[in-house]
Formats: sequence, structure tokens, C-alpha cells
Amino acid sequence: MKEQSLGRLFLGKWNTMTLVAVAVGAALFGTLMVFGSIPIFANTYLTSAMIIPVIVGGLFGAVPAFATMLIGNFVADLIGGWGFWFDWSVGNGVLGLFIGALPLYGARIDEGIFTVKHAIIYAVCCVVGNAVAFGLVTPVMTAIFYAADLEITFLQAFAGGIANTAVLVIIGIPLLFLFANRYKKRSNLKEEE
Amino acid sequence: MDGKKPVIQFQDFCFHYKIQNKPTLHDINLTIFEGEKVLILGASGSGKSTLANCINGLIPFSFAGKITGSLKVNGLETRDLSIFKLSTMVGTVLQDSDAQFVGLSVGEDIAFAMENENTPRAEMLPRVLRYATEVGMEDFLPSLPFNLSGGQKQKVALAGVLGDSMNILIFDEPLASLDPHTGTVTIDLIDKIARNGNRTVIIIEHRLEDALHRPVDRVILMDKGRIVADTTTFELLCSDILQKYGIREPLYISALKYAGCELDKIKGLEDPAFMELSSGDIDKLHKFFAIKPDSQPTEIGEKAIQTESVTFSYIRGPKAKNVLRDISLEVRKGERVALIGKNGAGKSTLARLICGIDRPDAGVIYISGNNQKGMSVREIGEEIGYVMQNPNQMIVKDIIKDEVELALRLKRLSEDEIASRAEKTLRTCELYKMRNWPVDAVSYGQKKRITVASILALEPEVVILDEPTAGQDYRHYMEIINFINKLNAEYKKTIIFITHDMHLAIENTDRAIVLAEGELIADNSVFSVLSDDDIITRANLKQTSLYTLAKLIDISPERCIEHYILFERGHKGILDEQ
Amino acid sequence: MNNRLLINYTPGTTPIHRLNGATKVMGFIVVTVYIIMTFDARIMLPMFLLCTAGVISMRPNWKPILLIMGFMFIMAGVIGSMMIILIRPSSGLTHVGGETVIVRWTDHFFISRELLWYVGAMYFKRLCSLSTAILFILAITPSELAAGFNKIGMPYKICTVLSLAFRTIPDIARDYIDIKNSLMMRGVELDSRKVGLVARLKQTVFILSPLIMTSFGRIGTIANAMDLRGFSKLKRRSWYSEREPTRADWIARGIIVLVAIFVIYYIVFVRVLNPPPFSYWSPWGYW
Repeated sequence: MKEQSLGRLFLGKWNTMTLVAVAVGAALFGTLMVFGSIPIFANTYLTSAMIIPVIVGGLFGAVPAFATMLIGNFVADLIGGWGFWFDWSVGNGVLGLFIGALPLYGARIDEGIFTVKHAIIYAVCCVVGNAVAFGLVTPVMTAIFYAADLEITFLQAFAGGIANTAVLVIIGIPLLFLFANRYKKRSNLKEEE
Repeated sequence: MDGKKPVIQFQDFCFHYKIQNKPTLHDINLTIFEGEKVLILGASGSGKSTLANCINGLIPFSFAGKITGSLKVNGLETRDLSIFKLSTMVGTVLQDSDAQFVGLSVGEDIAFAMENENTPRAEMLPRVLRYATEVGMEDFLPSLPFNLSGGQKQKVALAGVLGDSMNILIFDEPLASLDPHTGTVTIDLIDKIARNGNRTVIIIEHRLEDALHRPVDRVILMDKGRIVADTTTFELLCSDILQKYGIREPLYISALKYAGCELDKIKGLEDPAFMELSSGDIDKLHKFFAIKPDSQPTEIGEKAIQTESVTFSYIRGPKAKNVLRDISLEVRKGERVALIGKNGAGKSTLARLICGIDRPDAGVIYISGNNQKGMSVREIGEEIGYVMQNPNQMIVKDIIKDEVELALRLKRLSEDEIASRAEKTLRTCELYKMRNWPVDAVSYGQKKRITVASILALEPEVVILDEPTAGQDYRHYMEIINFINKLNAEYKKTIIFITHDMHLAIENTDRAIVLAEGELIADNSVFSVLSDDDIITRANLKQTSLYTLAKLIDISPERCIEHYILFERGHKGILDEQ
Repeated sequence: MNNRLLINYTPGTTPIHRLNGATKVMGFIVVTVYIIMTFDARIMLPMFLLCTAGVISMRPNWKPILLIMGFMFIMAGVIGSMMIILIRPSSGLTHVGGETVIVRWTDHFFISRELLWYVGAMYFKRLCSLSTAILFILAITPSELAAGFNKIGMPYKICTVLSLAFRTIPDIARDYIDIKNSLMMRGVELDSRKVGLVARLKQTVFILSPLIMTSFGRIGTIANAMDLRGFSKLKRRSWYSEREPTRADWIARGIIVLVAIFVIYYIVFVRVLNPPPFSYWSPWGYW
């Protein structure tokens, strides 16, 4: 494999294939968000939709993951019809950058590369990403848009962040191992008796 | 073809995909002339699609690799052209009519190429209407893709590449996902488009009999990346090379061969309806169809499934329409049954009812004599296994063994029990040696076996297979079919095929249940169903060429088909034993 | 499937439906900024009435809308307000400017009329943005959305992503149902009443892996089909679904421009140059 610069891995390769992947990812995200989430608290859901940007990131890079998350959120708002929560959309987009950064630390799902080391870095990224997105970005935006108290918006966003992190780690890591296994190139398989 | 302008010229052309260790195309020398209609024939992996992708520019634009030699399209060397430039000269209709529909309505999808050219809307609208009219979709412009049938989507795809500067049209396996009748409509349409103007048409197929529904000027047969024959339809049908390269002969040709006719003496051999058989040939055919081959009646077991007056509708307010009306049928243990009907006839709905995913509004379903009403989907799953068409939709795990064990683990069986049942299933499906392989490391046919194994682990009595061979060439088709027949013969599983592949139904089932518009219109042996004009029309089926042959030599089509099948089965049996 | 989504794939026939994509998108953006910029119920009220009238004029199916409204009321109206009242009852003083206590239990638990106004006004603001959203969603089809965003300057590749996403949603929903059924037959219990939260979460993995494999398995073909028809060859792109603006569009755009001028004036002169002492206006004359 050719050495690729970090910037390139971050941006991803923007061809038609990547655009289609972002579109399919956003559609999956929207559908899972609207029809496949379990509400647990005001504005807080356990939703498997969160996994989609991780996969897009693993296959295409961090910025495509960001785009998937942002557009996916917009799509979810449009099909769900519960209004546009831009404060949350932007927070989710930022989270997408962190959780989709897999190629930056060498995890290549499409080439079957995902090790325990990658899993640990990924888990750290999930925690940091959620801290930045819902500990900082979303509460500040909510405070600006609605003149709500930072303390309260922070509490809400914090609950959302915990739920996301749980989903991303508990479902995400086994799935990443599973996909890496499926995409792995096979050369020396032996039949066993 | 002298004097005609060559539009596609391959010269000593080779192509090697970057990701593969051997070249895919070798020494291609081929010239296709303006206005020609060419059929490129070959099994999967013969390189026929790669050849097409070289012409339309996907190679090397999307699939990187090394090209040697020369390929000129309309006199221009393709390596100097971008895919965008080629896209204004070469139109391609892909096999997957659903995936290539990128617009949100019929009009939008037809307009897609024009939108990319930044054509003003005022100019775009009349052109969209014109192209839609050419394929007969002018009344559907506002329709959504989700409300269209596969055939309609394909027409839209065709309209989408009819641009004014387009003089080459490529059809990549246009018949793969269509029912038999729609397939003939498509071939008719391609024929009409080919005659319209000076378009050069290239059809890529492995289904020879269906592709020859309308004549082609030339057939190019490919194998392992080389052109092995570049000839007329007549020459090809007379030769013996088809089977050798994994292409199924048209049924009437096989029948003529079995009867001992000399094919190269038959004028108009390409068209079974109008070929000129000599009186000697007709005698031979009559003699062949007069011998009564042995037929072994299948042993009829107890009732595995029985439905009594089953009626069902997806309730949608006052417009509720019954999807299934008054269906009564039974399937006996050990039988092989084909469930036939066009899209939307209710086949899948019936399967869902039998599996308990939906429940009938009226009527009763019995499974092994028990009323299914009191059983959960899970309990029914242990009696009836349902194998979906696309293996990707079923495979959950990464390792073959884990996939097969999944259902057993969910049942919370003991580890010993899981191990022994999984081993038995893996051995039945001939996957035991590969049990620790990842699911994606195997061929399509083996993947299909994994999905069958994953449900066989529960030891169901009945296996329902939804289009098990869709999109497969003859070799892979036989691989899958032989495996399923083994399940039936050796392991006594009852098999229900949901299919619109008539070859599959004729050769591998004892009985056909035909649905049309939610009603059961036939429940009879396959050969009687296929010789009944009324049923054929209502179910969007198509007469096989045997029917045409029977009419030509004036014998009963039913007898002709029955005879042929029994002969083939006996014949194959002998071959298998050798 | 289609009727479970609020957005409509087929265009409607009322006057608002007949506006073109660019007009709808412009209107939506201006109205959204309008609602975000102000905390003054007197400014929000006319826009709320206008949007509600717009929704009524489209003769929608009310059932899903009322359902969403109810859900919003519980989430933001009841739970959201309760949180503020319980955690920070002094919000009335900080955001409205006074504290006229109605009931007081302890030092930390009390209700003032300004606090009630604050939570009420905040809920009203949520309600306003919900009604603009519903108006927009009901009025626009996905193809108009894509074309409209491109017309107001969004790069066409992003707009195509949006349109493709909507093209894919029904396919995904169908696959989702098929996969779920097949898993149920193999013994996966997906009934939410029978399994706990953690088990449900784990079982979504079973659906996710085939769903992702199936959906992403198609992207190569879709991308090829687009490249083969010249996608992304030019810097600009025209849209089949973007109707030429009619007289009604020009009138609507005129109104939108007027509102936009007001929005700019309000942001510059009221919010930035001359900010009120407290964010929320109230009838008790604090500003």
C-alpha cells in the first residue's frame, strides 16, 4: 500500500464512490435514527445509527464520516419531522470527525486491519469526541440559540454523550472487528479435517 | 460488412486489473461496425463484462489496471479519452436496474445525463419526453422508483442513455433480474432501439435462448479472457462448443440433437418458430417424442404444509385490497415444488404467511398437521427454513462456523449439542473443511450454501428458497441446484422454490403452484402449466422453445415438454453415474 | 413505507406546494434565522401564526403532526421546563429580569412569575422552530430540496448526496424489514416487550451487520451508473426538478427579501448595537 499523508487520510478521497457512500451512510443514519432508536431521556437516545459514521470513516476517512453524520442528521430531521435541532446536528458532526478518524491511526477496515491497539485508540476517540461535541459544542450552541443555562444544557448533552459513548463502544468495537475480518484478503486458507 | 464504418476496434488488446495477479483480457482483436447488433456470450469470469467496461471507460476510470494494445471507439484511442467524453458516445445499461436508478422520479432519472451536461431545463423537458416515449414510459414521468417493476426500471435506464450523440449502446446482462415475459419485452425493445437510427448495440448475456428471442448479427463467445468464437448465430448453434464454455444450449437445439437431426442442414435454425425442418428431421423428432421414458413417481409423504382458504391484505384504510385471496394448497414431505408468478402476484406474501411473519386474515395454515396460529415465528422457524435471495442479507457473522451455530446458540442449547449439530450441518453442506474460514472468502455458490446451512442447523422439514440461482451463469447455477437436489434426495428435505426461472422449474421440481393477482391459478405438473397459454399469459411466463418446437411439428406441447424433461433426467442420471 | 415519513416524495398541489425549490429553501433559511435571532414573544408570534396558517393551507394529514407536537410538548415543554424549575429556579431573574415569587418551598425551590414566563417563552421558541420545520418539510420534496439548495449556492455534489440519500431510504427500510424477519425465523427475539435494554442493543448488531453489508455492497454500482452518465464532469449542473420561477415565486421571494431586511436590521440594531439587558422580553417592563 502506498504511504498516504495524514491530511489525505483525514479528508478521504472525494470521488463519486465516496459521495455515494456518504449518501447511503446518511440514509442509513437517518432511517436508524428515526425507526431504530430507544429514547431514554429528553433528547437522549440509544441509537445504533451512531455506528454508521464509524464504518464510513473506517472505509473512506474522517471528513466523509463528518459529512455522513451532518447530512444524516438533517435527513433524520426531515423524515422524522421533529424540527431542526441544529445545536445537536453540529455536535454530532464534530463527533463524526473523531469517531470516523480510524484511518488516521492506521485502522483500515476495507483492508482488514483492526487490532486491539486500534480498538483502544478508537474507544479513547469516542470518549474525547463525545466530550468535545456534547461537553462543549452542543451546550454552547444551545445556550446561544435558546438563552438556556449552560448548566442545564450541559446536563442534557452529557446524558446524550454517555449514551453515545456506550453504543459506540459496546456495539462499535465488535462490529469493527467483524467487518475487518470480512474484508480481510485471504491468501493462505487451508482446509481442515 | 465491407464499406461499413468501424465504431469499435480492439487491436492486440490486453487488460490486467491492478488487484488481480493475472490479466483478465488477452489478445483481443475485434472490430464492431456501425449499426451492428452483437451478442457477447460467456460464463461468469469469461471477461465479457470487463470487455464492455473497457469500451464505456469504467476501465481504467473506476477500475485501475494496465492496458496494452489499442482500443478505438469512433476512431478515437480510448486511453486519450476521459470517461466523460466516452459517456457522450457510449451508453451503458447495467445489470442491476435498481442500483442504477439514481433519480427520485422517472423523469429525473432519464434527465440525469442532461443535468450533468448543464442542459437548460427548457431544452431538457422535451428530450426527456422523447426518450421516455421511445421506451414506452411516457405516462410514468412523475412515478417514484419504489413503485416501478424491475422491467420498468430497466426501460428508464435505457431511456437515460438514449442521448442524441450516443451511437453505441451496451446492455450488461439485461435479463438477469426480469421475469421471463418481461425479458422478452426487453429483448424486443432493444431490437427496436437497434433498428432506430444507426446505433450499434452490444448485448452481454449468458442466457442464450432468451437473448436470441430477436436475431443478432453476430455472436462473440468468450472464455477465460479470450475470444473463442466470432461467428453467426447459425454457426454457433450448429457447433458443439456451447456446453464446453459453460453456456446452456437453447432447449429446442438440445431436443433436435437428442433426436439426431443434422442441425447444419436446417434452414432458419435460429428461430424455432420458422425453421425449415426436412421431413426426415420431423420423423426423427416424432420418433424421439414417441418413446416413453421411464418416469419414477416421487414418493408422496405426509402433509408438510397445508393452507385452507387463506386470505390476506396489508390493511391500508378503505383502499384495502386483498393481496391473497382464498389460497388452498398442500405440500407433501419430500416434494420439490415451484412457486411461480410475476412480481407482486403474492409469492413472497404467501411465503411470509407460511413462515408466520404475517398472519392470514382468514383461513388456516397447518404445518405438519398443526395449526400454525398458535406457533411463534421462532417455532415455525424450526419447521420451515426460509433462504433469502441475497446471501448478504442473511449473513450476520464473520466466520462460517459461527454463522451456522448462531441459531443454535440463540436456542440456548448445550455446547455439546451445538457442536454436534453444527458439525452435522456443515458436513451436509460440504462446508466442514472450510468451517474456520471467513464468510467472504468463498464463492457465491458456497455463500449460498452457508445461508442454507445456517437455517438447516435448526433441522427444518421444509426449506423455502427465494430465487436461489438469480444472476448466476450455468456453471454456478448447476453448483447450487445440485446441492439443493442432494438435500432433497439424500436428506429428504421438502423444497419450495420461489422463482421465475422456467429452466429451474422444469428440470428440478415435480409440481408448480402458480399465483397471479393474488389468486392460485394453477397447481399442476410443470409441463402442463407450461403448455397452458392462459396460465402463461396471466403469470407473465413465457413459452419455452420446446413449446414452439412442438407446435411446429404438430405434437402436444405438454407431451413434448414432459417427454423432454424425463429424457433429460434419465440422461443426466446416466451421466452422473459414469 | 412512504406514509411513515413526514416528507413527501410526490409534489402536492396547493399554492405553497407549487412554489419552486429555491423559493422554499430561501424562505426556510430566512424564517429559521428569524426564529433563532429573537427571544421576544411579540416578534415570534406573527411568524408562528404565519407558519401555522401555511401548514393549514396545505391540508396535511394531521395525525403524525399532532403526534410530533405531543411528543415535543412532553420532551421540551414538560421535562425540559421541569429541569429548569428544579435545577435553576433563579433563571427568571437572570434571563427575564425580575423575581416575583408565587410559591416558595425552600431557598432553592420556588416558582416566580418570571420563571414561568421564561420556561413558557423558551417552549414557545421551540414550538415556533418546530412549526417552521413542519411547514418546510410538508412543502418540499427531496428533489426540490436538492435543486433548491444548489440554486442558492450549495455545491451540487452535496445536493446530489442529499437527493441520493432520499433515493436510498425506502430500499434501506425494505432491507431492514427483510433482515429482521429472517433473523426472527432463526430465533432472534426482537419484540421490545420481551427483552431488556442491553439485550436489545446487542441484537441490533445482528441487524446492523447484514444491513451495512447489503447497503454498502451497492455503492460501487451506483457510483458507476453515475460516472457512466457523466456525473461531476462540469462545474455546474442543471436540475430537472427545479421549475422555472412563476409570478407566485417572485411575490414570495419579495416577501422573503423584506423579512430578510428586517432580520438584518433586528440583528444589527437590536441584538448587537443595542442589546437588551435581559435576553427574554416580558410584559412586566424590564426592557
